[in-house]
Amino acid sequence: MRKATATIPVTVIGGFLGAGKTTFVNHLLATGGPRTAVLVNDFGEINVDATLIQGHDGTTMTLTNGCICCSIGTSFIETMCKVLDAEVPFERIVIEASGVGDPWKIAEIALIEPTLRLDRVIVLADASRIAALIDDARVGATVRSQFERCDVVLLSKTDLVDAATRAAARAAVLALRSDMRIVETTRDSLPTLASLDAPGKVSAFRADSPPVDHRETFRSFAYRRDGAFDRGRIAGAVAALPPELLRLKGSCRLDGEDAPQVFQMVEGVWSLSPSAPEQSESGIVLVGVGTRDLPPPSVLDAILDRALAAGAVS
Amino acid sequence: MNHDNVVYSARNIITMNPSRPTATHVAVRDGRVVATGSADELCVNGARLDNRFADKVLMPGFVEGHAHIMEGLMWKQPYVGAFDRRSPEGKVVAGVPDIDSIVSRLQQAEAAMPDDNSPLYAWGFDPLHIGGKMLTRQDLDRVSTKRPVLVVHASFHINNVNTATLELADLLHATDISGVVAGADGLASGELQGIPARMRLFRALGHNPLAGTITEADVRRYAASSCVQGVTTITDLHNDLNDPTIEVYRSVTSQDDFGVRLVPALAAVSHTPEQAIAKLEALRQQPSAKLHYGIVKLVVDGSIQGFTARLRWPGYHNGAANGLWYIAPEELPRLVDKYHRAGVQLHIHTNGDEATEAALDAIEAAQIAAPRPDHRHTLQHCQMADAAQFRRMKNLGVCANLFANHIYYWGDAHYELTMGPERASRIDATGTARRIGVPFAIHSDAPVTPLAPLFTAWCAVNRVTSGGRVLGRDTEALTVEQALAAITVDAAYTLKMDHLVGSIETGKYADFAVLEDDPLSVAPEKLKDVAIWGTVVGGVVREAPRA
Ligand SMILES: [Zn+2]
Repeated sequence: MRKATATIPVTVIGGFLGAGKTTFVNHLLATGGPRTAVLVNDFGEINVDATLIQGHDGTTMTLTNGCICCSIGTSFIETMCKVLDAEVPFERIVIEASGVGDPWKIAEIALIEPTLRLDRVIVLADASRIAALIDDARVGATVRSQFERCDVVLLSKTDLVDAATRAAARAAVLALRSDMRIVETTRDSLPTLASLDAPGKVSAFRADSPPVDHRETFRSFAYRRDGAFDRGRIAGAVAALPPELLRLKGSCRLDGEDAPQVFQMVEGVWSLSPSAPEQSESGIVLVGVGTRDLPPPSVLDAILDRALAAGAVS
Repeated sequence: MNHDNVVYSARNIITMNPSRPTATHVAVRDGRVVATGSADELCVNGARLDNRFADKVLMPGFVEGHAHIMEGLMWKQPYVGAFDRRSPEGKVVAGVPDIDSIVSRLQQAEAAMPDDNSPLYAWGFDPLHIGGKMLTRQDLDRVSTKRPVLVVHASFHINNVNTATLELADLLHATDISGVVAGADGLASGELQGIPARMRLFRALGHNPLAGTITEADVRRYAASSCVQGVTTITDLHNDLNDPTIEVYRSVTSQDDFGVRLVPALAAVSHTPEQAIAKLEALRQQPSAKLHYGIVKLVVDGSIQGFTARLRWPGYHNGAANGLWYIAPEELPRLVDKYHRAGVQLHIHTNGDEATEAALDAIEAAQIAAPRPDHRHTLQHCQMADAAQFRRMKNLGVCANLFANHIYYWGDAHYELTMGPERASRIDATGTARRIGVPFAIHSDAPVTPLAPLFTAWCAVNRVTSGGRVLGRDTEALTVEQALAAITVDAAYTLKMDHLVGSIETGKYADFAVLEDDPLSVAPEKLKDVAIWGTVVGGVVREAPRA
């Protein structure tokens, strides 16, 4: 009745909106490994990283939808079935759970589907706001439930908070489950699945004595426009950006060109590279990180607006 | 007047046009209303008099502002709900009020099936309507021990299956999975819910009975049900609108004999806002008389009787934990803002009052950031809103489509379990909406409850539960006239179609509900019993099937 197939490990990535799930999924893909099917079921959020996932060399699938009601559950199921029935079997399945969903309710698929086995449930928590989210009157219960049965918590963005905030974040998560394993991460020090397997190595990601100056705090910045950049005006605008803006990254359209581009800027050095053809984001979506002295968004917006093609609607 | 005019005489014509509320005749040309009036006024210049409706009462065709195409799919399978329901063939299918009668209906259906172990599906079961009794696998084993038997609940979120199905899907012992409920013997009881159990089920069966492409036959069944109920404009209020569906809708609604105007709403959940906006823009390039795109649907929370709606303090009356956000409250403003700026009309599902609050906050922020006149964003269900929330709706230009059928079907559960006496009394507060001046419709959410606007109107007029309890009639009930407006012109308003349908007046489509009796002259408690002869859609007369 059933094909005898090797079991495929399933890793479920959970966590509330903005915790860094997609960044981590991107990181897992970028750091290599077996042929992986990625199922992303958070479509509501503008997600620069999701557009990058779609561009990953054809072994990945960015797929819609999750666990919220019958019809949506149904399309998730159909997608999952397609992955299971793929002619060349996948070697790993990574599911990014919905930001308001319970990752365990997805993980259970791997417990009853004979061709699957559950690798682990990883929940990301944004160090800058998890303590507040856990106690939030509206979403607290949703957030708390995500931690109930996870194997490991990745406390993300620890380089963007001070020591007291980081300690409060740890304490809030540990108050939910005292046995919780917490791995502190930054965008540049995300673990691989293999490194998570070996506790000795994982400690490298703990920020118990991190080489980070915690007097420094960071500010994030997001720029969204419906139009397109004029290729010729980008350099001038970037040159006008203040040095306090350390990084800026995302996708953009260029006037007169069909293919969307990936824009990256690190400390004033910038590049454009073609994005995946099936990439569907329209307009311009950039996210950036700066120092705590970063000028207000309106100032940065005005500078970047200078690169917009004429007639572009803001 | 033109000699191509056809003038229909009627016992009475309730126009829902306040400038000329009643008439005895209506002149029609090219599928549109030329005028209403008297014989003297309209039978001129060679107009042809048609007396076929001389003993009938004409109303504007009913507008169902919240229903789903699934109503057209379900009737392929036996119905096992507790209440009577009318099929697309016009047949009254009796409710089955206890486990034994459910089993015997399934046994009959099973006996008519070929002996090939193909699965038997049924729909409409709700344990709340049969004293909290659950169908067990042992009950369903009385139907068959060989073929899979599956009963999907009225909520569409839970399945009950027989032992053969559990064995086929390897779920009999899988009670450690949260969606596999254990019975008294420690084995699976047959009640399955959640994605993992459903997925296992569909993989074991080889397919998902509720998935797959919508066919022309399904849409025609939906249109037939509409005709049976006097509906001439109907929504399909949550659809992914994938290409095959778009093509089926385009093809079927362009045929002359297709007898209802279809208003699909694009499901936000399956698209980024950019994709959804682009898709709608493309769909609206091809205007069509019987297919109207333009609405995007957002779903913020779950259902009250399923305890998945988000309630404000003090929460559920019985102490159940608060429900689920399907869109995070901090994400909602961003989504609403994008659609609002793009000129899209949003229909936002909010059952609980905390979800309603989140939706109003999001619309308020969008209106401040980018004021837009006449957006007509509409809160769907909006069952628990209080007066203060209705005042915010009024000030923000938001409409409501209230779920009047809930008063009858789940009013007792709301009084006893979910809301308690005070909040249950003002459930689906049509009276409050009127006093404050919020434009509103009332709806069935078919197939969740039966498609039947006159029944929905009856619920809003009488506010009586299936258990006989009266909920807030003194303060929240509508008059019959007001309820008829809520299933015609006011429902059309929430769809931005009130310039096309919803009343019988010059220039609008000649869309009529043809009634055997006058709803304004029957006793209000008999409103639901007014018989429907059929419909006229764009001047095409269609007698409802009767079986
Ligand atoms: Zn609905």
